Amino acid sequence: MSVVVSPIREPLIGGNKTYHQITEDICAPTETTPPKSWVIAFIASVITLAYGLFCIGWLIYFGTGTWNLNRTIGWGWDITNFVWWIGIGHAGTLISAILLLFRQKWRTGVNRAAEAMTIFAVICAAIFPVIHVGRIWVVFYFFPLPNTRGPLWVNFNSPLLWDIFAISTYFTVSLLFWYTGLVPDFATIRDRASGFRKKLYQFLSFGWTGSAKHWQRWESLSLVLAGISAPLVLSVHTIVSFDFATSIIPGWHTTIFPPYFVAGAIFSGFAMVQTLMLVTRHVLKLQDYITVSHIESMNKVILFTGTMVGVAYLTELFIAWYSGYVYEQFAFLNRATGIYWWSYFGMMTCNVLSPQLFWIKKFRTSIFWTFIMSIFVNIGMWFERFVIIATTLARDYIPSSWSYYTPSWVEIGIYVGTFGLFFTLYLGFSRVAPVVAIAEIKSILKSSGNQYVNHHKDAHHHNINEQHALDHLTAEHEGEHHH
Amino acid sequence: MNQFVFEKQQKSTFIGMMILGVICMVLTFVGDDAFHTRFWSNFLHNSVYFTGIAFGALFVLSASLLAYGGWHTIFKRVWEAYSLFLIVGLVLMGVIVAGVLGGFHHLYHWADKASVEADEILKGKSGFLNPMIYTIFTIGFVGIWFFIAQRMRAISQDEDQNGNESFSQHKKLKFWAAIFLPLGGFSSAAIIWQWVMSLDAHWYSTLFAWYCTASMVVTMYAFTLLILVYLRSKGYYTLVTQEHLHDIGKYIFGISIFWTYLWFSQFMLIWYANVGEETIYFKTRLEEYRPLFFLNLGINFFIPFLVLIRNDTKRKVGSLVFVSIIVILGHWLNFFLMIKPGVLHTAHELAHHDTHKVGGNESEIKMHSVKTSQENHADANSVPHTAAATHGEGHEVVSHDSHSDHAEVPAGFHFPGLLEIGTWIGFLGLFLYFVFWQLTKARLTPPNDPFVGESYHHHV
Repeated sequence: MSVVVSPIREPLIGGNKTYHQITEDICAPTETTPPKSWVIAFIASVITLAYGLFCIGWLIYFGTGTWNLNRTIGWGWDITNFVWWIGIGHAGTLISAILLLFRQKWRTGVNRAAEAMTIFAVICAAIFPVIHVGRIWVVFYFFPLPNTRGPLWVNFNSPLLWDIFAISTYFTVSLLFWYTGLVPDFATIRDRASGFRKKLYQFLSFGWTGSAKHWQRWESLSLVLAGISAPLVLSVHTIVSFDFATSIIPGWHTTIFPPYFVAGAIFSGFAMVQTLMLVTRHVLKLQDYITVSHIESMNKVILFTGTMVGVAYLTELFIAWYSGYVYEQFAFLNRATGIYWWSYFGMMTCNVLSPQLFWIKKFRTSIFWTFIMSIFVNIGMWFERFVIIATTLARDYIPSSWSYYTPSWVEIGIYVGTFGLFFTLYLGFSRVAPVVAIAEIKSILKSSGNQYVNHHKDAHHHNINEQHALDHLTAEHEGEHHH
Repeated sequence: MNQFVFEKQQKSTFIGMMILGVICMVLTFVGDDAFHTRFWSNFLHNSVYFTGIAFGALFVLSASLLAYGGWHTIFKRVWEAYSLFLIVGLVLMGVIVAGVLGGFHHLYHWADKASVEADEILKGKSGFLNPMIYTIFTIGFVGIWFFIAQRMRAISQDEDQNGNESFSQHKKLKFWAAIFLPLGGFSSAAIIWQWVMSLDAHWYSTLFAWYCTASMVVTMYAFTLLILVYLRSKGYYTLVTQEHLHDIGKYIFGISIFWTYLWFSQFMLIWYANVGEETIYFKTRLEEYRPLFFLNLGINFFIPFLVLIRNDTKRKVGSLVFVSIIVILGHWLNFFLMIKPGVLHTAHELAHHDTHKVGGNESEIKMHSVKTSQENHADANSVPHTAAATHGEGHEVVSHDSHSDHAEVPAGFHFPGLLEIGTWIGFLGLFLYFVFWQLTKARLTPPNDPFVGESYHHHV
């Protein structure tokens, strides 16, 4: 019995693909010389990365004085960028884990690239806490290691320490998850390769043979990892939100922070997946695997999480008034109308208002608008973190210490450098590993390939058993009515 | 059998439950203090609880429609029936509204003019916490929700009669679902602040609305499971297999964890920051409602988590039914714990502010929490800002009470008594009667829904 699929579902694989064609299409980028556009992009990324490294070197040599942080504003672009990158790192594992548990077939087109994105984004994020301490040579103090420093020990009551645990756990599990998925696909490449490449992929695929036992273990492992990752997706940004919310700073201490940070993270993560996938599918000619209905589904997630974030913004704003707590009220008035009003405005426009365009199917299915919107959301989510951090700190309890902060060239350089790192890694990934999960795409071909879905056009009538059961129900109903 | 028949025996059982409920409510009313605090808090508690289930059903139904969810279609009529209960919820909450307007209950501190005058914080909130907004929001929002529920039901029934390959009804359903989701998302938050959060009129938490919603939705799934199991035992819903029950089990499991996540976030952040006017909420509950406080967490998290974490328990009727009953009772207790302390506190406040009005009945309102209020507000006073200071002043009257050492608790507040359980059974009878009655009005499985085939063949 083939799988029953609702007649209103769109196919998820186009172009009447056969199993062999899928292998050919997806393996191609790993087997051919990169096109000129790739080479140019790669060089640009490496140059940007080099500049970022230079700025980090400058920072380490001269110290955090090269940043424009001051007595009032102790966190600036560093933690803003950290939270931003961590947020982006949420979509990959969400797509892989939660959508796997929900049996969402559309995840297969994008999961591999999204997982890779997660890992690269977490790497970019991890740079900031490490360098923002200034004295980078004592960074091992982060870890609760036995030491010769006597009673000096990490502060287990600090959410900053919990953050280290959360992020390193998340990174490890995401990496395992991503690599587990890659194993059978590396084996596919190996089987087509020769010489050194064959040896390399043989090593990378752990000698995968494709036996039934391998597949069975692989499936169980994927499920177990998904089960572990799902709470991790929530925990990571929850703990990032604790960095702020456990404090008693007005505007930071609010109970909605954990779920709202998670929603925001998924929101920005999906936006980044869209940005990457739209370019990837075009350059690597994967339009049959990453279809418009994939893009539409992701846009719906963006609309949903964007609106959730909107509910959270308005809740915060309302409760600030409702609390009757003057400092809280001031914090929000200051956000919206203070010196950094433009960042609040940017946040509201990009995160809450602009995604509402996606109520309209035309925008949801337009490649052009999706791309524009994905950039908007990325900008908006960066503003959100900047609003939370800089706006709040710039106006603290003592008006004499109020100040204004703009980043120095070093801070900007480091942020730009992380883009270099991110794209260098991603571009490298797209040449050595299949950017779409071959094995998983094949598993949905018979239920979601366009040639199969179209045959189902005669709706739910195609299955005799089922039609019989439903006819039976209908007839019975009519019968009872006539009595 | 795709046409449900509401049997006489079922009817008389539900009517019996309702009669029991009414008797319990009358008994509560008669034996109550001058404000009928226990009666009204029970009424509010159960009205919010069952209206919440109806809201949860409409929300889940809409979300599934928009997310192309297909697994639940064969039993979606159960959720439709739940969602229509919003009309009863409207009437029930209408009674509370009438009480706010007419002043015949004293559930809300902010509804008392004299208290608002004397209290800076309540005065500050009076733009939102006032009888007019309460009335407009309750009637308006629940009314709109019901209107949408009823529209979606009509379209769904029309699909049974006239549905064809164009699936035009399905598109219309999606249209209404798309309207409801954002509307319901925003309005439910505002309404739950009014209905429940404002019982502790000084307290606030931004997470509160989402926390309540999680509670409502998980209860809704638990009720769905029990009803499906019952209807299957009666020979209906033979198409609902272990596969569907498994998915409901996953939702009960998942949302229970999600609820705990929200519980923890709210508790931990307030505990950690220890800001006086926020902490008092949990301080009261931890000290005066200690058994209930831990029971709430225990049965709403540990039992669903430990029982349903295995694959096989999500596929066995026995374990699923057990967990569902626990979840239903557990979240009822959760709402109990959110509602009762605030109501009792308000009653004390008013009894003191307004001794003339209550007259000789004053002694009936037990001054049990006086001692702790004193302690709590001492904390609040230590926070150096105007809000807390004013907050403290409002309670000066209470702290002079001579009975403060003899803390006595009126029945039905620190733990549900028999009358609370009886009242709940009454409301449950009403809910089930209404749901079963709605089930007779349409086929149990919609044959023309585009997802019915997928749902029938659902395989986990």
